[in-house]
Amino acid sequence: MFPQFGATAESLSKASSLVFRIGTDAHLYDDPDDVSIAPLLDSSFDSEKAEALKRLLALIAQGEDVSNFFPQVVKNVATPSSEVKKLVYLYILHYAEKRPNEALLSINCFQKDLSDANPLVRAWALRAMSGIRLHAIGPIALVALSKCAKDPSSYVRKCAANALSKLNDLHQEENASSLEELVSILLNDHSPGVVGAAAAAFNSICPNNLSLVGRIFRRLCETVPDVDEWGQIALINILLRYVIARHGLVEESIMASSHPSENSDSRRELFSIPAPDRGSILVEVEPSEHIMRELMLRHYIEGPEQYSSRQIDAKEDDNGSNNNSYFTSIENNDVKLLLQCTSPLLWSQNSAVVLAAAGVHWVLASQMDMENIVKPILFVLRSSYASRYVVLRNIQIFAKAMPSLFSAYHEDFFVSSSDSYQMKVLKLDILSTIAAESSIPFILQEFQDYIKDPDRRFAVDVVAAIALCVKNLPSVAKTCLEGLLAIVKQESSIKHYGSLEGEAGVLIQAIMSIKTIIKQDPANYEKVIVHLIRSLDNIKEPSARALIIWIVGEYSDVGHIILKIIPVVVSYLGQCFSSEELEAKHQILNTVAKIVLSAQGEEHELFRKVLFYILDLAKVDLNYDIRDRGRMIEKLVTSQPKISHQEGILHVEPDSILLDELLKNMFCGKIQSVTGAINHFRLYLPGSLSQIVLHAAPGYTPLPQPCSLPEMALENRMSQDGIEAANSSDSSYEGSQSSYYDSEGSIPSPVDGENPDSGSESDVADNDHYMLRGANGSPDATAIGQLIHLTDTSIHDGTAKQSTAENNTSSATDLTNLMSKSALESWLNEQPCLPSVNSSADPSRERSSARISINEIEVSVKPKLNVLLEPANGNGLRVGYSFTSEISKISPCYYPSKVPTIVPMEEIDSLHPGDMARSILQVHFHHHLLPLKLAIYYNEKRHPVKLQPDIGYFTRPIAMDLNAFTKLENHLRGMFEYSRRCTFADHINIVDQEKGQSSLNDDKILLICRKIAAKMLSSASIHLVSVDMPILLKFDEVSDLCLRFSSEILSNSKPCLITVTAEGKCSEALDISVKVNCEETVFGLNLLNRIVAFLSSNSVS
Amino acid sequence: MLQCIFIISNSGEVILEKQLQGHRADRSLCNWFWEYAMTQGGELSQLLPVIASPTHYLFQIFREGIIFLACTQVEMPPLMGTEFLCRVADIISDYLGGLNEDLIKDNFVIVYELLDEMVDNGYPLITEPNILREMISPPNIVSKMLSVVTGRSSNVSTTLPVATQSCAPWRKTDIKNSGNEVYVNLVEEIDAIVRSDGNLVKCEIYGEIQVDSNLSGYPDLTLSFANPTILNDVRFHPCIRFRPWELYQLLSFVPPNGQFKLMSYRVKKLKSIPIYVKPQLISSSGSCRMTVLVGTRNDPGKPIDSITIEFHLPSCVTSADFTSNHGTVNILADKRCSWSIGRIPKDKAPSLTGNLVLESGLSSLHVCPVLQAKFKIMGVALSGLQIDRLDVKNMPTQPYKGFRALTRAGEYEVRS
Repeated sequence: MFPQFGATAESLSKASSLVFRIGTDAHLYDDPDDVSIAPLLDSSFDSEKAEALKRLLALIAQGEDVSNFFPQVVKNVATPSSEVKKLVYLYILHYAEKRPNEALLSINCFQKDLSDANPLVRAWALRAMSGIRLHAIGPIALVALSKCAKDPSSYVRKCAANALSKLNDLHQEENASSLEELVSILLNDHSPGVVGAAAAAFNSICPNNLSLVGRIFRRLCETVPDVDEWGQIALINILLRYVIARHGLVEESIMASSHPSENSDSRRELFSIPAPDRGSILVEVEPSEHIMRELMLRHYIEGPEQYSSRQIDAKEDDNGSNNNSYFTSIENNDVKLLLQCTSPLLWSQNSAVVLAAAGVHWVLASQMDMENIVKPILFVLRSSYASRYVVLRNIQIFAKAMPSLFSAYHEDFFVSSSDSYQMKVLKLDILSTIAAESSIPFILQEFQDYIKDPDRRFAVDVVAAIALCVKNLPSVAKTCLEGLLAIVKQESSIKHYGSLEGEAGVLIQAIMSIKTIIKQDPANYEKVIVHLIRSLDNIKEPSARALIIWIVGEYSDVGHIILKIIPVVVSYLGQCFSSEELEAKHQILNTVAKIVLSAQGEEHELFRKVLFYILDLAKVDLNYDIRDRGRMIEKLVTSQPKISHQEGILHVEPDSILLDELLKNMFCGKIQSVTGAINHFRLYLPGSLSQIVLHAAPGYTPLPQPCSLPEMALENRMSQDGIEAANSSDSSYEGSQSSYYDSEGSIPSPVDGENPDSGSESDVADNDHYMLRGANGSPDATAIGQLIHLTDTSIHDGTAKQSTAENNTSSATDLTNLMSKSALESWLNEQPCLPSVNSSADPSRERSSARISINEIEVSVKPKLNVLLEPANGNGLRVGYSFTSEISKISPCYYPSKVPTIVPMEEIDSLHPGDMARSILQVHFHHHLLPLKLAIYYNEKRHPVKLQPDIGYFTRPIAMDLNAFTKLENHLRGMFEYSRRCTFADHINIVDQEKGQSSLNDDKILLICRKIAAKMLSSASIHLVSVDMPILLKFDEVSDLCLRFSSEILSNSKPCLITVTAEGKCSEALDISVKVNCEETVFGLNLLNRIVAFLSSNSVS
Repeated sequence: MLQCIFIISNSGEVILEKQLQGHRADRSLCNWFWEYAMTQGGELSQLLPVIASPTHYLFQIFREGIIFLACTQVEMPPLMGTEFLCRVADIISDYLGGLNEDLIKDNFVIVYELLDEMVDNGYPLITEPNILREMISPPNIVSKMLSVVTGRSSNVSTTLPVATQSCAPWRKTDIKNSGNEVYVNLVEEIDAIVRSDGNLVKCEIYGEIQVDSNLSGYPDLTLSFANPTILNDVRFHPCIRFRPWELYQLLSFVPPNGQFKLMSYRVKKLKSIPIYVKPQLISSSGSCRMTVLVGTRNDPGKPIDSITIEFHLPSCVTSADFTSNHGTVNILADKRCSWSIGRIPKDKAPSLTGNLVLESGLSSLHVCPVLQAKFKIMGVALSGLQIDRLDVKNMPTQPYKGFRALTRAGEYEVRS
């Protein structure tokens, strides 16, 4: 209006802003490089340095690369001025990644600052130092960090906690454990601020080491309200994960509700694909809600890898179903405490905290208490504008799983005109989900207003939402249909759409919604269909017409009125065929064909006439698709047997029955409602980024497996003293391996190698019981696989005068002392390389090594003898056992049980003092490494014993030559290859002995070979393939001595290759590296550990 | 955790970038973002707060013409990103006395220093305004003058604020104020949806209690309400102790120094609205007559100020002209009409009449504009929330206590 005035105002404001800009850094931002920066940096005045640095910062802000000033800037780090220091740090941190080597120049200065009296300076130095991404700096930074973690200032400690994850980003393996230790120290800090930052570091460094939390769980819970808001988010996430891992899901919670504990059948099916009719099991839960809850349970716990792998093989995973401790109760103290301490967070001013706390309650709280989270998260919708979208997305999921929760609060989801389109759609979706009998009138009234929304995209969504509401609440169908018809009427009155893009969409969607509603009960809505047919005259939009015409065809035989008007409609369709658009023409063809097929009586003739009229028109249509379809329909219809007209004379060829069937299927099949789309989407934890972007963001971790953190691991953690060390003897090591081994994925092994938990112990106890009955000959226990030669020997010790008493030595047991010669021989006979030395150099190898075979090795092979019952305990009876590599004759698939099973064995009638009896006990270990509890009866006394299975005998030797070996080895590279190093010292004595004796001709190296081979062969059931011996000048040195063994796993016949390489001096302990190639990772690793264990153990020969 | 923060003007210019982690995020991300924003219709305030770009996840908020954009590549609570950006925007706006492109450019060093203190390795470090003020002094006239005269200035504190160590980080222990006073301010926003027939769909109040405390030492305040039961939802400043609220609905707290938001609350299901707005649309063959009447419905007892009615004309309206018997009407380029009434005169009811010409082919208007009303009522809290008393403990002398109230329109919508 008054442009000149406006101009004045503008220039005035410009002038005033000029005044304001005096004294700010404005000129620096506008022309950062109008003076040369380098000399300023070297100035001796702090103010000039500061100005130069500000100019650099301005250039950085504008996206210029000024890293070439790095050396000059770095040397200013020693300045006493805090402003310059701060600016230098800002600069260094910006370029630290780009110029790490120059950043190193400043390291001394950082270190000096680290011991500054001012905590602010210490913190700055630490932040800058840990920001330099250089591997070389890792160790120095770690030292600085450990120092700062004990700093008196909590601010410095907080910075130290933040720096932990920077260091972790460098991926330095060697630092991992010390970082974890620091996390644990900082989590224990008494200052809440530090705990919060440490929680964040925990999440990035060792998110799965939840046992760290166990010890201090209560204290952490109590500090939650005092921790700063950002720390609260990280901390309660950890606490939630800990509770799930430690105690499992809460029985009363929504996640467990999909899992009725009374009903064991559905429990078994828990992880299978949900059947659509599952809802009938639970009366109060709608099927869709139920499916939703199941999905939730499954998706919250399993990671993306598991998810995708399940997608591929659709394998059923019944982890939880056989584990009763999967659930805990709301009465659990830890659960209660966590819920209690997170409740006040729902009042936080930070919406992220509110949502995180709501997430904890969503997973843990009982369904009764879920009400608590509703009001706070709804309040976030109003009070923080920026968070609305994310909160709505989460509410959407909550509402789908538990609509009743929100149904009373429908008002909060009423759309406001300032909402963006996405928000409107979200609110609409939530509204149609939570609509209940009591609220539907209000919601529908709202919908009426929304239809008038200027954004027509949204109006389309509203019309679609109406149909959804009717699906949930059939009682409102009538009202909705009336409304929809009104929309159809109104929209069809708009003559042409012009720029009104969306209008056609509204009309089409209205007809679609009507279609969805009448589908549920067509006969009842006959009038609606008639109404639609009547409106055909007004509706111009081709898609809408096509839809209505389709409805005519689909429901032409429903009710009475339609039947009457159908002839008129068909004639009408015939008339307007030529003026229709393509889409509608298709539908007319189909519809009339359908009507002809289903029509009876006199109208049939009329319909046929119309049909042929239309077909004639179709034949000359411009569109080839219409022409083709017309021809096809004509063919089909004319070849239809006209049974109705030739009464009595039925000459129906088999061909035409087929045709009839075909026609019926093509045109008369009624559509089925499709459900189950819900299975295709994936849920993520509430409040996570992944839930918003709908894919697993890198670093997304689902909830841990319920109860995956056993108590033992924790308690052990709690008393981190000598006990642990004492326990970690060989046997407990094996024990933990075994529990891992048999877990088959259900419970990951305890973190720090503890004995099998009580569950497996009872398992063994069961076996014991089994065994007792076994004595009575009742159980038909079976087995194969591992087979034990069992000799019952009494010892010839003088003390043994128990003589005759032995008569009643009962059967049970295993063990063996010595293997009889024959057994030994028979076993050795299987060794293929008995022949004499044929030490010829192999020319194919580039290294000068000789391949030899070792003769007489059998002499030194003594199967390892284990003691089952000591004479001292056994009243003079000694029972030993060893494993053979003979194959049992009992079929492996005979008894598919999963627990170790035993074949009954005979009693040994009597045993004289000094006598030795041998018998064979067959045990099928089923790949379990758990010790087997047995009882030996003799002299009417029961002696409980434990039989340790040996993984070395879970294999069977297979003979193969070197070529086959190397070929197989090449197939099993990479992830199937495991290796470990150890030392071997067995040979030293012998070598020394040999030295004393004169056997010069006996090569020391050969001796070592023999020793190693013998030890391998006597500890495991394997086959020696070849020995590569280096030919070296130094006669006292071994290098590249290589022994190869082959075997296959008994249970699944997968090959398992072992390569032993030795290096070192003959007179000293040898460096051995053992490599196992095996497809079965767990087995391979266990076997490797076993081999290393026995090779490095010093056996007394 | 957050990788980088960009501050972008509403014309797409990157004002500054602050790398937060060792892995740098490239500036080209902003180009991608800007193109994305343009494909979404260019309405910056309507952009989604969380966007998945091909390389990064972006969080953004739009404040007074400035976009605060942060990015990450790993999973983190999305609300943490947006909430932190809000905090950054609040603090920068508080420091600079507003937010606009020039202000940020003029004070870019301060913005950098602030960001550096607020976030460490992508994780929020100090977001408490009081501590930040101690670490980095805000620009003020004195320091500007000093820098002009002496040629040097330093706004970076050399000592660590004591409050970082205390369990009440929002307050430093040794505050000495010349004044000894505390003001409690009830600021309420009334949200209402009225249907075209005049029926109230919903009406509720969103309120905040803003406190301005100028008390020395370490005061302990207790605020009680006469009718706390009407509060439907509440959110608290971290200084509020939870127990007294849970047990007795008392607000017990040690206040930060200066202005802060003590709590926010909501009162639902109100029955009365202060003003009525009656729109009427009568369509006849290609045009539509629109009349809007405004008047007082339930007199709040205080004058209703600066009443403004705003609405968007539907896109199918080709032209419109409006006249009013009171106040001025403006039609902006994007078909937004704003009718500023001011105070309702005693002698007549303000009315707006106009003729809308519809697009050819439309005989009647099938979409309806939603009218938004803005107004302000000083001295009244429409929710009816009453402060019973404010006790101040731990103070040698009783301070001056002041109470004020204000109600303004929030999302006050009338459908036509």
